[in-house]
Amino acid sequence: MTIIVLLPLLHFVFAVLCLSWQRGTRGIILAALLIDTILLGVLFAVLDQAGSISITLGGWGRNVGIELVADRTSLVFGFLTLFLEGSILLYLWREHLQPYFFMLLHLLLGAVFSVLFAQDLFNIYVIMELLTLVSFLLVGYGKRPQQIWASLKYLFLASLGMGIYLLGVAVVYYHAGTMNLGLIATQLTEQQDTTWVLLASSLLVTGIAVKAGIFVFSLWLPAAHASASPAVSALLSGLVIKMGVVVLLKLAAIFPLSGSLLVLGSLTGILGIIYAITTYELKYMLAFCTLSQIGYLLIGIGTGSKVALSGTLCYAFAHGLFKGLLFLAAGSAIQATGKKDIRELIMERSNISLITRAALLIGTLGIIGLPPFAGFCGKALLNAGTQSYVTQIVLALLSFGTVVSFARLIPLFRFEGGGYLPRTKSLSFLILALPIVLFFPLTHLFVPAWQWQTSLNISVFIKNLVVIGMGILLARPIANHFPHLEKRFFRLEEAAVVILSGFFLVFLLLLFA
Amino acid sequence: MLMIAGVIVSVILFGIGLLGMIFRRDLIIKLLSLGLVNGSVMLCLVSLGSRANGIAPIIRGPENAGYVNPLPQALVLSAIVINFAILALALVFVMLLVEHYHSTDSQRIEHEIKREREL
Repeated sequence: MTIIVLLPLLHFVFAVLCLSWQRGTRGIILAALLIDTILLGVLFAVLDQAGSISITLGGWGRNVGIELVADRTSLVFGFLTLFLEGSILLYLWREHLQPYFFMLLHLLLGAVFSVLFAQDLFNIYVIMELLTLVSFLLVGYGKRPQQIWASLKYLFLASLGMGIYLLGVAVVYYHAGTMNLGLIATQLTEQQDTTWVLLASSLLVTGIAVKAGIFVFSLWLPAAHASASPAVSALLSGLVIKMGVVVLLKLAAIFPLSGSLLVLGSLTGILGIIYAITTYELKYMLAFCTLSQIGYLLIGIGTGSKVALSGTLCYAFAHGLFKGLLFLAAGSAIQATGKKDIRELIMERSNISLITRAALLIGTLGIIGLPPFAGFCGKALLNAGTQSYVTQIVLALLSFGTVVSFARLIPLFRFEGGGYLPRTKSLSFLILALPIVLFFPLTHLFVPAWQWQTSLNISVFIKNLVVIGMGILLARPIANHFPHLEKRFFRLEEAAVVILSGFFLVFLLLLFA
Repeated sequence: MLMIAGVIVSVILFGIGLLGMIFRRDLIIKLLSLGLVNGSVMLCLVSLGSRANGIAPIIRGPENAGYVNPLPQALVLSAIVINFAILALALVFVMLLVEHYHSTDSQRIEHEIKREREL
């Protein structure tokens, strides 16, 4: 039981230690990694027996005290955290960073673990605000004006979003008299008049959507993720964005959100991928792609069947791995050449180390979902989990768009030349690349075998290969004939307006769906 | 009565803050508007916990003498601390931007950054 308290708490202790013992920051993070591995291993063994465990802090009842719950979802994201933590540690091993950077890193990890176990709406609010603050400071760490402006925009919009979320919490508390998610669920079955759920859930979803990287809400994301340093982008894109999705998963379990999440997921997927296709700056392209990949997860949550939920977990795990790898490798490629544009990077590919290019290749293969790489497993499960043809077409369109936007990276992989890369960085790529390649055996830890039997058949393989082949063939003509897209609403004022109108959109969706 | 008045005032304040964030170009005023938005949410939370002729939730006499609900007040305390931290940190970052661009005009900063990216 105490594991789920220890996991977040120890990271906050380490954060303080980092400040007081400045020489040992790397040792501390190594120790944290070891302890996390052990604790998550124990948690895995416990959950294998029990299914889920919960603890209510401070000896209060469930309606006043804070309840922490660990289940399969928290375990999957916990392991994702572990992989990213190890790889980031190695990536930063040789870089000169101030101790307070490592403190922020620990705070971030602690907050991530707290979100995974949180079961209380207000507790979620506090942790999400902590995540906002920490990622705000991490994005602005380099103190370049571009970074500072991006992180300031992030802070403005995320804080506005969390204000909207808190309004939703107030509505829930007024009508249900509790903030515990489990107790709200029982209240919902007992109460006669549940019209308040409409207002409450649209406020909650809007607030979280700002943080979860959903297109019409999270317009701060491209600038923030593209201008941060590589390790920070990898963490933000691979992990922090997913925390919003985790909260949406928890909300979708008690509120009737499925229809609206399907629409939001298709919207963010399609719009994100359109922007990714037209963007040639590598890190911006990856950031837009993150927006679109969240679409898969939302569609999975919205569908709601058991197979689709497994697919969501699978894809979230896979996306964390390959997006982390892509951001790290892109960072070191940009560092080696000084160029940011994909076309210029291809011109100077001989200066980029072979290992970096191999890492980019593995990440690309993972994200386009070539069997048996990581993306494929999630996509197969999601495909098998939905019955409706519309959803399947949207999913196929999303995969096609992803292939089109990533096909431009393929010319990087000519087998020639190669610059220098420190050994620690190659190791850090390896930590993320290995699970991407060996993803299929790994998923047996959290996806039951019967779900694989229903979702894996020859038609899925063929469908995926056809989509990939068509995408690679059509990539160049599509990219050349794409119209110029409006970028004005990525500014602060317009983004705030868009969030407000997004709230009305969610409200209408919930009203009619 | 008190509750309804509190909720109405908080909605009005939320609107004013949001308009300020959207239409004022000065970053400091934007920050103050953000504070107003978050403050209005807290007002809403506290007024939802109120009751007619309620007294402060510090138990001094009989157990159920019409105390107001203490839980929203405890929540608002943590929310105030969080929003203080956000405003303080945001002000530091605005200061860094002002050192670089000598302006708090958001449109101008956006324009300058766009120009720097294209160079």
